[in-house]
Amino acid sequence: MKRIGAVLMLVASAWAAGAQDLTLPNRPASLKFAAIGDNGTGEAPEYDVGRQMVDYHGRFPFEMVIMLGDNLYGRQEPQDFVRKFEEPYRPLLEAGVRFYAALGNHDNPSQQRYPPFNMGGVRYYTYARRNVRFFVLDSDFLDAPQRAWIEGALQQSSDDWKICYFHHPLYSDGKTHGSQVDLRVVLEPLFVKYGVNVVFSGHDHVYERFKPQKGITYFVAGAGGQLRRGDVKRSEMTAAQFDQDCSFVLVEVSGDDLFFQAVSRTGATVDSGTVHRRPRS
Amino acid sequence: MNGIKVVNRASRFAVDHFLVVPCGAAVALVWANWGAESYFWFASQLAFAVNHVGMAFFFAMIAQEVLEATMPGGALHTWRRATLPIVGAVGGTIGAIAAYEAFVLAGDERLLLAGWPIVCAIDGGLAYLFVQFLLGKGAARPFVALMAIVSNAIGLIVIGLHQQSAHLRLAGPLLIACGLVVSVALLRLRVRTIWVHIVIGGTMLWWGFWWSGLHPALALVPVVPFLPRSPRGLNLFADPPHGPHDSPRHLEHVLRMPVQIIMLLFALVNAGTVAHGIERGAWAVPVGALVGRPLGMLIAVSVSVALGLRLPHRLGWRELVVIACAASCSFTFGLFFATAVFPIGAVLTEAKVGALSTIAGALLTIAAAWMLGVGRFEGRAHDVPARTRESRA
Repeated sequence: MKRIGAVLMLVASAWAAGAQDLTLPNRPASLKFAAIGDNGTGEAPEYDVGRQMVDYHGRFPFEMVIMLGDNLYGRQEPQDFVRKFEEPYRPLLEAGVRFYAALGNHDNPSQQRYPPFNMGGVRYYTYARRNVRFFVLDSDFLDAPQRAWIEGALQQSSDDWKICYFHHPLYSDGKTHGSQVDLRVVLEPLFVKYGVNVVFSGHDHVYERFKPQKGITYFVAGAGGQLRRGDVKRSEMTAAQFDQDCSFVLVEVSGDDLFFQAVSRTGATVDSGTVHRRPRS
Repeated sequence: MNGIKVVNRASRFAVDHFLVVPCGAAVALVWANWGAESYFWFASQLAFAVNHVGMAFFFAMIAQEVLEATMPGGALHTWRRATLPIVGAVGGTIGAIAAYEAFVLAGDERLLLAGWPIVCAIDGGLAYLFVQFLLGKGAARPFVALMAIVSNAIGLIVIGLHQQSAHLRLAGPLLIACGLVVSVALLRLRVRTIWVHIVIGGTMLWWGFWWSGLHPALALVPVVPFLPRSPRGLNLFADPPHGPHDSPRHLEHVLRMPVQIIMLLFALVNAGTVAHGIERGAWAVPVGALVGRPLGMLIAVSVSVALGLRLPHRLGWRELVVIACAASCSFTFGLFFATAVFPIGAVLTEAKVGALSTIAGALLTIAAAWMLGVGRFEGRAHDVPARTRESRA
């Protein structure tokens, strides 16, 4: 019996190791980051996802995390920032990983002044890492100044990669929320015109990747802290979906390729692939 | 020809029964949920023209009605007559704002706090219609009409002052001053053609408002005092068709049909939302309107009566409850206030859903009238204690 038990343990650990395989190339000079959305619950699933991120960080040393909004749910007093953000990701913060947050509909606007979110006291901002420029929008209020700003910022950018992220998805098959079409008709023409490559959003508490829409690859990664199990329906635009557990996404940008790997709360890879950069027209 | 007649009769019915906006909203909702991409493209193309230009004519007409109501013989002419509805409106507005903010704070959704002006809105047309349908002619109609005017005026002032613009220019205030001077000059020159006032003075004021950071939908309001006008009676929303307001030299006559078309477009452009999960913002507006407003209004009127003010003739507490419920429907004005307070985005969607859902105030009003046995449900009066019936008389 003991022998059978030992064999089973060995098989189980081999399976677990396989489940936690890194599918990304992990090249030395590439930009590595993670994406989480709708994470700030302070509940066990958020902590579980945080532990997986720490675990993967050991093998895939991502330097930053993009936060797709709903960074904190409910009360947002100083102690809540500790319980819902600092504790779950403490090893990452101590390792020098920087978090760059977008605001979601449950976020207190004062989060823009919380130093670890690196928002610089503004609702929308841009920053660059290597050959990638990130554009962070506030999809709660897409007012005229913000629209003028994003158009100007996209126009000025000559970076190889343009990645936008914000809370409400332009494309989503989530049954609870779905696509934010009113934002899509305003933002997508700008994204197409100025060559945005990839867009990350949250809001629907599932993972989803879409077939390129007008040349842009859209991700929904809104299951960083809570899940709506079975909430996603398949459409003709769907490339991949996962709504059975919480998840986060690892991303590596190297030259003209963006590699991604979506990882579940248990460490299993639920989606992976590559986005090739479109040649500039 | 029969088809045209049917369309004409249907349009006339819709106009006479304040159904233009609800009909437009219904079409917008169906369109947004069946063809979201085409709907939101259409809405985004027309939003500015309708909300910032077209609505200026609507508010000019409202301003004209209010101004005429304050003339001798008008419903608002003496403060004594208008005091109780004004008190009710202020109390209702405070109640609505308090309920809205309390609900938002209870959920720690501080993002929504800025939306409180939305709950100042009362759809005066619908409220008037409900009251007329349930309580018939009498003091109830002008009471609810005055409440709507005062509440919406509070909201408009707040929105006008808090409007943020990316187009601020020093020329703005200067143009407002020039527009006012031109309007006075046109009045002195006895120019009686309404469109001359609107095109010359109104255009200057519109650009002045736009460049000053004020909501340009209110730009024609300062022109109104310089237009021909005549007193407006208690039947504020339903003047006889062949009165002084039917003259081609009267703003109401000139703008009546254009404003109906604008209101249809307004509903089409603003009311379409995709049926998503209902967020807290969508609940906060009806909580403010359906709970806070009736409570605030009834408390304010009760305190005023206790302090010595008297209820209008043939208007009892049971009728007041029905009026308070009728005033909970913010619909058209709620949509407008939502678009003025929040820019395009998810929060605006929540607020719009909330404003649309206040149509439930109609059911609340009918239920209140039925339970209290007033107006059309007078037959149920035997269920009501005799002392309450006496107080109504």
